[in-house]
Amino acid sequence: MRKLQTLVAAAVAVILLAGCGGGAASPAASGDASTAPPAGSGETLVVYTNSNGEGRGEWLTAKAAEAGFKIEVVGAGGADATNKLIAEKNNPIADVAFGLNNMYFAQIKAEGALEPYDPAWAGEVDTALGDSGDGKAYWPLVKQAILLGYNSDKITADAAPQDWTDLWTKEEFKDRYERVTGLGTATAQLVFAGILTRYKDESGDLGVSDEGWKQVEQYFQNGSPAVAKTDLFARIAAGEVDLGQMPSSIIAEREKSFKVNVETVAPSVGVPLAVEQVALVKGTDKKEQAQKFIDWFGSADVQGAFAQQFNSMPVNKTAATKANPEVVEFFADVKQQDIDWDFVQENMGAWVEKIELEYMT
Amino acid sequence: MSGAAVRNGGSVRSMVRSPFVLMVGAVLTWFIAAFLVWPNLNVLIATFFPDGSFSGRAAEKLFSSQRAMKSLGNSFLLALALSITVNVVGIFIVLVTHYFKIRGSRILFLGYATTFIYGGIVLAAGYKFIYGDKGIVTSLLLTVFPGMDPAWFSGFFAVLVVMTFATTTNHMLFVGNALKGVDYQTIEAARNLGASTWTILRRVVLPMLKPTLFAVTILSFLTGLGALSAPQVLGGREFQTITPMILTFANSPTSRDLAALLAVILGVSTILMLAVMSRFEKRGTYYSLSKVSSALQKQQISSPVANAAVHTVAYLLFALYTLPVVLIVLYSFADGAAIQTGQISPGSLTLDNYVRVLTQESGLRPFVISVVYSALATVIAVGGLLLVARLLQKYRNWVASVFEYLLHIPWILPSALLALGLIISYDHPNPLVGGAVLTGTTVILLIAFVTVKIPFTLRMLKASFASVNSSMEEAAAIMGAKTLYVFRRILLPIVLPAAAAIAALNFNSMLDDYDTAIFLAHPLVQPLGLVIKANTDGAEGVEGVANTFVYTVLLMVITGLTMYLVYGRSSRRRAGRKNSAAGASPDPATSPALVAAGTEPAAPVR
Repeated sequence: MRKLQTLVAAAVAVILLAGCGGGAASPAASGDASTAPPAGSGETLVVYTNSNGEGRGEWLTAKAAEAGFKIEVVGAGGADATNKLIAEKNNPIADVAFGLNNMYFAQIKAEGALEPYDPAWAGEVDTALGDSGDGKAYWPLVKQAILLGYNSDKITADAAPQDWTDLWTKEEFKDRYERVTGLGTATAQLVFAGILTRYKDESGDLGVSDEGWKQVEQYFQNGSPAVAKTDLFARIAAGEVDLGQMPSSIIAEREKSFKVNVETVAPSVGVPLAVEQVALVKGTDKKEQAQKFIDWFGSADVQGAFAQQFNSMPVNKTAATKANPEVVEFFADVKQQDIDWDFVQENMGAWVEKIELEYMT
Repeated sequence: MSGAAVRNGGSVRSMVRSPFVLMVGAVLTWFIAAFLVWPNLNVLIATFFPDGSFSGRAAEKLFSSQRAMKSLGNSFLLALALSITVNVVGIFIVLVTHYFKIRGSRILFLGYATTFIYGGIVLAAGYKFIYGDKGIVTSLLLTVFPGMDPAWFSGFFAVLVVMTFATTTNHMLFVGNALKGVDYQTIEAARNLGASTWTILRRVVLPMLKPTLFAVTILSFLTGLGALSAPQVLGGREFQTITPMILTFANSPTSRDLAALLAVILGVSTILMLAVMSRFEKRGTYYSLSKVSSALQKQQISSPVANAAVHTVAYLLFALYTLPVVLIVLYSFADGAAIQTGQISPGSLTLDNYVRVLTQESGLRPFVISVVYSALATVIAVGGLLLVARLLQKYRNWVASVFEYLLHIPWILPSALLALGLIISYDHPNPLVGGAVLTGTTVILLIAFVTVKIPFTLRMLKASFASVNSSMEEAAAIMGAKTLYVFRRILLPIVLPAAAAIAALNFNSMLDDYDTAIFLAHPLVQPLGLVIKANTDGAEGVEGVANTFVYTVLLMVITGLTMYLVYGRSSRRRAGRKNSAAGASPDPATSPALVAAGTEPAAPVR
């Protein structure tokens, strides 16, 4: 008994010590770093983004350090980052947010969590792609087209669909396209924004005519449901499906990895563009530093380098000259769909809810 | 079952007379008020009374949605089915490894124990590699039965099978542990009276495991209700559950009331299940009446046919349990495209995935942060609740019941909403925490981790206190031992193995937490779950999926190590103790002085 007790006491002590020791070491050490920054380099800026994957976060941290900014990138999905910024508005933790598209930023702005700011590069971007309201709070960085892609080894350009609606109206595409199983992602929401906005009808449910909701119903009834943790391109490679939604930036890389060839559809109405933005968080105590960072990050040099590294399409006109020529060419050809963003932003939450409850099976 | 005496120790009056109880009660009241009631009340008010008045919108929307009702029904179906199947499989594997004489039971144990170390989406994927439409077993079956449906392993059946095998962990740990406490003399006595192996099992052994079985059944029910990844991967069109919908709605500010309502429905049914189970439990806890208990010896199955059958099933289960793990480890060396298309060749296995994950700039830091957070939260939750569980088990009155149900609040809301509640309650100076602001500190995530683990910890600890033979404690009390002394010297050593197992499970389950950390983590102290998400999610690309597998294998190593350190070693230590206590040592289980008073059951019989 006594022996057992000694053993137990020792074990507990070790666990406690390990816990406390480690606990004191790591959080405290980094806590110091955040509260007592070295002079000269400025304070650590906390940057929220959904665009930190595939090495972007590390690249940005390193480049920012070269430019004299100490930043800590906090990654979260678009919806998570949005909710986090809104939830923290009374006592913000972030100083800058970027990567979220205009729909998300409009939500955050409406909750009063953003501080209007005109960056130094405001004249180099098309302001129509950014905040459309008064007191511009978020500014465009990167363009992304939301496309309908198809397996070009199986479907010729002539036989390919002309628009999303062909997927469920033409017999040959039924059950051959992947449909989403959740509307949590920005890409899925933009696809529906592109479809529903065509059926705007003030007397209809949530501003959309019955005809519009019928399209949604048909989309879900005739598609092959996406499979968790299995990429669309993997399913195309396996021959399970031939078509599906895809953001423009991923196509080249996925084609190579899964050894498939994909072409994209150019509907006559155009395609939805998701524009990733940057914004200053309201209530930050490092406002000046954060503004300097935004000026630096959105500048032609940095955006150009980012575009080269990650194959993106910068909004900044000067930076666009440095981007991958293929990407620039693609965006020169692509027709942007005319979407009433105010209408979409106002209704997206309710649309998602309605679709999830009524049409997804 | 014995004794009809109602002990007067359980009344409210005797409770408030003890300064020790009052002290624990005061701390507990503050904790519950500050971290369980207040934040969650805030988040519920914010969702259900957005403009100060209640709206029935959420209920109306949900009940008129066919999909929501069907998914909800599926979740309940799965929960009920799992409560049964997990018990069947769980009890079987516990008996095979701890009760019957089975050849190679140690190897079997290791195979069954693989569920300790992994779960979630990767586990479901592991099963899909084997039984899915392009899986290994399916390909084999197709050569034998060319006409069969390659997609045979999907829907309710597949989800139930996978989740049954994936969630026997609690049985292995807690039922296994309780079985070791069964008095062998009762079994021998029954055998001498002519009882068959089956009768002994049914009438003697299983009744003594009842408190633990009730506790793990509630957990199985809860697991079924909260099922997420297995239905997503294997459920197909026909069998989708409610959790994905809750998560989508919880993430959308305009639909959060729907998420909260659904979560409350699931939470309240769990609590109802708990109440029903407590009823059963109160009807009678079974104890051995023998004066001198002795350690369990493994039983030979007498019928050769039954023996062969049990061996066969045991090894078949072993194969079912271990195959997915082997494949996951194998696939973690393949590239992402191969993982997703299911095609793998020996030449394509490289260390690239591991190099990529481990040489990231963030490196080992997130691992260390998560280990520290999990360890601290585990120590606080288990340490604190040891006292609380003991008091709740000892004092059975309405005050104790209220406390007990309040402590289950974290089961009612999904962790994303718990986190939101903490943010909106503590983003300004709040008198409940001495006027401090908690958001943006490293403490708030720790608080969330502790609270999330409270219900599970409490259930399991209470069950293990319930199976302690109260006679020793009473004898000690008669001889003048103080409350704390009895707790420290008599009760603690007995429940410690269970507490260690609970601690290990808590620790493991928090390592890769994402839902809480995403909202509460300090920006400079980001735990592993966030890094995993950043590297595995997004567009679910090629590297992302491969990274998922690498992280799973790395977590398997950490959790495997934890289980070995905490559970493997403690069971060996106990084995050693038993040997040394074989003489006339004052081991409580064998001390004649102590068992003299041992005729009364711990549970008051109502």
